[in-house]
Amino acid sequence: MSQLESLTEAIKKGDRNSAKKATQELISAGAKAQEILDALVGGMDDVGRRFQCNQIFVPEMLIASRAMKESMALLEPLLVEAGIKPKFTAVVGTVQGDLHDIGKNLVAMMWKGANFGVIDLGTNVAPEKFVTAAREHNASVIGLSALLTTTMPAMKQTVQKVREAGLKDVRVVIGGAPITQQFADEIGADGFAPDAASAVELVRKLVAC
Amino acid sequence: MTPRQRFLAALDRQPLTGRVPHFELVFFLTMEVFGKVHPAHRSYRQWLQMTDRERELHRRDMAWIYVETARRFEHSAILMHPNPGEAEETRRLIDHIRDLSGDEFCILRHGDATYGIPNGQRMAEFTYRLVDEPEKVHAEAARRVDEALGHAEEYRQHGELDGFALCSDYCFNTGPFLSPAMFSEFITPYLARLTRGYRDLGFHVIKHTDGNIMPILDQLLQTNPHALHSLDPQGGVDIAEVKRLVGDTVALCGNVACNALDTGSDDDVIESTRYALRHGMPGGGYIFCTSNCIYTGMRLSRYELMLDVWRREGNYA
Repeated sequence: MSQLESLTEAIKKGDRNSAKKATQELISAGAKAQEILDALVGGMDDVGRRFQCNQIFVPEMLIASRAMKESMALLEPLLVEAGIKPKFTAVVGTVQGDLHDIGKNLVAMMWKGANFGVIDLGTNVAPEKFVTAAREHNASVIGLSALLTTTMPAMKQTVQKVREAGLKDVRVVIGGAPITQQFADEIGADGFAPDAASAVELVRKLVAC
Repeated sequence: MTPRQRFLAALDRQPLTGRVPHFELVFFLTMEVFGKVHPAHRSYRQWLQMTDRERELHRRDMAWIYVETARRFEHSAILMHPNPGEAEETRRLIDHIRDLSGDEFCILRHGDATYGIPNGQRMAEFTYRLVDEPEKVHAEAARRVDEALGHAEEYRQHGELDGFALCSDYCFNTGPFLSPAMFSEFITPYLARLTRGYRDLGFHVIKHTDGNIMPILDQLLQTNPHALHSLDPQGGVDIAEVKRLVGDTVALCGNVACNALDTGSDDDVIESTRYALRHGMPGGGYIFCTSNCIYTGMRLSRYELMLDVWRREGNYA
């Protein structure tokens, strides 16, 4: 097994120590930053796939994410030096009136694991704030989360605000316990993800990267 | 039989005649119905600054809300949300409820001590602890159960409390937060000890969790609660299937879809209500209720529609 494959395996297992060791050794051996990054993202992609198949659960995903994050911290200087940036930025938040953050945090974690730039606006986020942040960070994606059926209308309002603001290149994706594809279609969202791992695939498909 | 007796009989899966018992974990629409703020929504930061008389008036007012909610909507049980939440206030609230309603209603309070899904801020930290320091997590889990059973012993000595609702949520719509293997290590043994302890003290136990419980249904059953609550259709839980699988060993509560009450059509509400009654009632051991609660923002008319169906169709021969 190559060192890059070892790194991917360590991420898949959530083995933070092995992941950091492999990352450091690859850096010392002069491996390209992009290769190391691809190995890390490959590990998280596998984690996402197994999560979707119910082979692993949220804790395993979080542990893998920690290993990824710590390895990324080692890799960061090389990424800067090589001018490698996330291909696009996603703004994410729980919609106005809703204080729940579990789903939103999991999506943000998986998006970071896929090397998306992520701007997390937190919970109870007003529609205007999503628009402002998307403009400020030149975002390609806005992710809206809601746990409560009573706050689902805030998703519709946010989608409307984004459209009114003329952010034509921004894709709005939604998710949360009461959310369905039908609701996404009704409010004019660009996509719906039933879980955090699916949110990665959905966004990749929407922005075709 | 009083509503309390009927509720306890349903928890014990005894056959009933007449209407299937009903309650809700919370009925938050008290401002709309009674012009009064729900006890859980009150801020009592100046509680200790109040005179004894003022505190007593607040306690009486909160007890009145619980009792009148139960009477208005024909609940058989009251799940208290003591505010302030100390054990002494719980005991006083129990006394006020009994004073206003005698033995009319079954009185429950929250009593879970097991780990539920942590909120977003704490989720990662909690997960890391499971992996990095499992022995400390086990020690804390045991301590939490010990403390809960200590409080339960005080409630037993005080009397008048009928049971506990254990409301730590374990599941998302897609399945449990913890894998079944981790659940069996960090939750099941402690839930089993907690439930056994409550039962030994003479209390009834309703285990609630949102979400898709099917991957851990066997483990929940091993812990031996009197009833499982929620049977969340949003999480894909089918009461017909659960009844078939475990209806002979545990009572069932819930399954009326809250999302239907909130965003569905009237027909959706009627259909969900009928489905829950049709599949929950046969053979007894069913308590009619929503899959969560009557929460803030829900339309009262939808809850009343659900109750209309129950009054017409929720009757044993």
